[in-house]
Amino acid sequence: MSFFGFDSTLHNPAAAGFSQAHNPFAGLSNRDDDADALEFEDTYDGLGDQLDETDDAFNDDTFGDTVGPVSSRAPVGKDFDFFGQTANVANAIEEEHVRFHRQQPVAKVVQSVQQQVPQASTSATAYKFAPQPSSYKPARTGYEKYSQEPVAELQVDAALWGVAPKKQPAPAPVAAVSPAPAQTATPPATSTPGPTGRKMLSLEEVEAQMRAQSKKPVALSPAPQPQVQQQIQHDHGYQYSQPTQPQVPAPVDHIQHKEQSFHPGHGHPVTILQRPQSKHTPPAQPLVQPTAHQRQPPQPPPPQQQHQLHQLHQQSHQIQHIQQPQQIQQKPANVQILQNPNRLSGDVANLGLHAHPTPPIPANYPTHPVHQQQNSFSRQQILMAHPSQLAQLSEEEKMAYMDQEAKRAKRNHKIFLMSRDNGIMTPQDKNFVTRIQLQQLVSATGNPNEHGTDESLAEDFYYQVHNQIQGGGRQHPSQPLNNFAQTYLYQTGSRQGGPRRHNRGPENHMQRMEQQVQRAVEAAKNKPKNKQLVIEGSLGKISFSNAKTPKPLLNIKRNDSSNEPHRPSSSHKQPQHGTDKRSELRTIESIYTTLMKMEDHDRIMPPPPASDADAEAIQRFVAWSNDAQALNAQLWKALRIHDHSSAQIHPFIALLSYRKGKKAMPRIFRHTTQEQRTTILTLIVVNLDSLDVVRNAQVTTGDIQLNAAMRENVELFSVAVMSTLFNFLNELGLDLVAGVLGLVCTRNVGVIAKSKIGVSMLTMILSRAEIIKHGGGGSEHDWRAWDATYGQFFDLIEPSLPHIFPGTVNSGEDVYVWQLLAAIGIGASPDQQQRLVLAVKDRVMDTVALSKTLPQDLASQRLQNVNLFMRSIGLDVELLQ
Amino acid sequence: MLFFSFFKTLIDHEVTVELKNDIQIRGVLKSVDQYLNIKLENISVVEEIKYPHMSAVKNVFIRGSVVRYVHLPASAVDIPLLEDATRREAANQAGKAK
Repeated sequence: MSFFGFDSTLHNPAAAGFSQAHNPFAGLSNRDDDADALEFEDTYDGLGDQLDETDDAFNDDTFGDTVGPVSSRAPVGKDFDFFGQTANVANAIEEEHVRFHRQQPVAKVVQSVQQQVPQASTSATAYKFAPQPSSYKPARTGYEKYSQEPVAELQVDAALWGVAPKKQPAPAPVAAVSPAPAQTATPPATSTPGPTGRKMLSLEEVEAQMRAQSKKPVALSPAPQPQVQQQIQHDHGYQYSQPTQPQVPAPVDHIQHKEQSFHPGHGHPVTILQRPQSKHTPPAQPLVQPTAHQRQPPQPPPPQQQHQLHQLHQQSHQIQHIQQPQQIQQKPANVQILQNPNRLSGDVANLGLHAHPTPPIPANYPTHPVHQQQNSFSRQQILMAHPSQLAQLSEEEKMAYMDQEAKRAKRNHKIFLMSRDNGIMTPQDKNFVTRIQLQQLVSATGNPNEHGTDESLAEDFYYQVHNQIQGGGRQHPSQPLNNFAQTYLYQTGSRQGGPRRHNRGPENHMQRMEQQVQRAVEAAKNKPKNKQLVIEGSLGKISFSNAKTPKPLLNIKRNDSSNEPHRPSSSHKQPQHGTDKRSELRTIESIYTTLMKMEDHDRIMPPPPASDADAEAIQRFVAWSNDAQALNAQLWKALRIHDHSSAQIHPFIALLSYRKGKKAMPRIFRHTTQEQRTTILTLIVVNLDSLDVVRNAQVTTGDIQLNAAMRENVELFSVAVMSTLFNFLNELGLDLVAGVLGLVCTRNVGVIAKSKIGVSMLTMILSRAEIIKHGGGGSEHDWRAWDATYGQFFDLIEPSLPHIFPGTVNSGEDVYVWQLLAAIGIGASPDQQQRLVLAVKDRVMDTVALSKTLPQDLASQRLQNVNLFMRSIGLDVELLQ
Repeated sequence: MLFFSFFKTLIDHEVTVELKNDIQIRGVLKSVDQYLNIKLENISVVEEIKYPHMSAVKNVFIRGSVVRYVHLPASAVDIPLLEDATRREAANQAGKAK
């Protein structure tokens, strides 16, 4: 095995080296490798054999491990379990004690068992209750106490209260203890003991018991009293100080009551109440015992009861928390339950189904310790209705029942937990919070009422206009409605159809909300807008921010002096040195500002007055028109059309050399009069050769050498300016077109023709004239003027014709030139056509020749371009081939 | 509010947000607020190899203050309109500052 190509075989792992602990056995392993291995026997010194193990037998004496049968060893294994042992003894004592009392008529026993059951069941949540006959002793783990009799050890020694421990079988000491309280408690019926007991079992009960017996033989093994008792001890939340107490006295009271009034199987709802106070009553306990049970012989409860206990036990959790004043017992179960905060209301209803009317209970009951027993007793009945009932249920039914119970309990608990926070906020609080939220909403999205107004447009111009454009394709926003707050707050309002104040109900709520919003908005608007707070004497200032304008980090104070040169609005006032770049840019900005004002103004244009009668409308319209005219004048002034200084380049033309100046052209044309447009066109044509896109974009016959920026410029100019002019020119009459052409003739036609823009302009003019001719427009006089101008123009351009082609033949970018040539050719006289052909013959022939070497599609395209011209003079490229 | 207004129109477009810690996140802009906090969905980090811890992330909310650049989809920007909006914004600010 080698990593990284390292040959590990060369390495002797047994050899000591750096970073390697010395291996004393290295030599040995080496020898092993040599198959010269040492045998274990050879190296073993045999010391181990000298050990004297003969006395190991005494280990048993020491550690108590007898060789005897497993069963006999068990007690030894328990030795360490002092706790368990002690508890066992305690249990045994208590068992004895209970047994003594159990020796009553069977009926009493049964009931007492029932009574115990609920208590035992209460322990279910805390411990797993595994009732077993005390005689049955499985192999001990040491933890039995925890699984079987968890509470037993918690039993308080009654001696603490000066009462003799109940464990003692002898009743004598018990009797000696405070007798007084018990007496009041004992109802007269108590004296009637056993005889009635057995008979009280109903037929159903007996049957149930028998069935249960057959089902669970294990449980049937004679259960000594103590078991039951211990089970009873477990009480979920409370540890009863006297374990025996509930069971023992119980028979006394309950049995009598039951026997007298009703069927033992049915509990009455009242009994649900169990008191935690029972803890305090222990001292009284002993009293009862002697009185009630002494004469009765101890009698083990029937096995069935134990079985029932198991079942009942599972349901115990339902009753866990029942603590009720005993007085309440006489009232319906519901009342009691309500009084108990921990009580699960669901149980009540359930229990109520099985419950029987509360038997009359002596008024003095409450104070007496005995009552507790009664409580516990009745409690069991409530739970189960009846142990036998549960027993009768099939396993599935039982499971379902338990499941249901558990679910309901869970739900009730949840409700209880949640209901704890009920009413923490008053309606006013909620209102307040809602208002704050709405205010935030409004300030974040703007006042819905303001949408479409100038203010909202100013804040959110791009978004709103963009949406308009995307959605409606309109150039400018009218009344954008798509807004968050509007959707959620105001649309709902309008759906309700206006104010319906008297309407009570959910809608009303909605309306109130709307009003709140409105009020909130009003308040926000009326609030003085203090953007910042400067505390006297402080060096800094505190800026306030809101959702709309997050904290402004820079607070720049501007001087109010209006002649400050930095402000665009003042830019058009300084025409002195109007040619420098800075002022030109500022001029353009002022143009834009004015344009935007005009666009805004257009949007508020009132409808033209329908009739002369509507004086108000007329007035409005007139006022609007005046404003529009003022703005127009402002724009015109900003354009500086008539602002011709001594500078070499006209200021307006200078503006056109800037990108944004070019881009402004379409908008300018929209907001100017026909006359103004004509003026602009004239101005451009007159200055055609001084336009940067003409002057600086001269073609050469060599390679195309326009740089990217200029090409972009040219492109932009043709898109923004030329198209605008083209549209405008197409509305002009022949006379104006002729005039324009005449203007061109006054300029350096050669220069113009050598630029793409210039050529386009010429093409535009010429083709317009041709279109007019085709349309039959133009007067005779105009045509004569045109022809004259054309002749002049032709003479001017003819010398330049061979040189206006951009690049070489190969470049293939000369289509626009062919277009111009075609435009010239159409309007030319036969003589002029001939001159034309002569001028460009070389180029035509070159192109045709080239096309033969080109691929089919490219060639045809080139030829088509040439054909534009050839056809205009009545020829065709085909003739040349 | 110009930028807020502008970014609102980019909602549902794919943008690339470059953070001040040099991470570039490309995703569909889902939401933006006045602080220019940005919510992106379906994100992918441009240099995924360099930031493997981001590979499992699908949506992000980016605090506006940590954004260095937002690369815009050019086709979704109306430049003349944006220019005008900028002018209006400037005019507003000038008006307010006065």
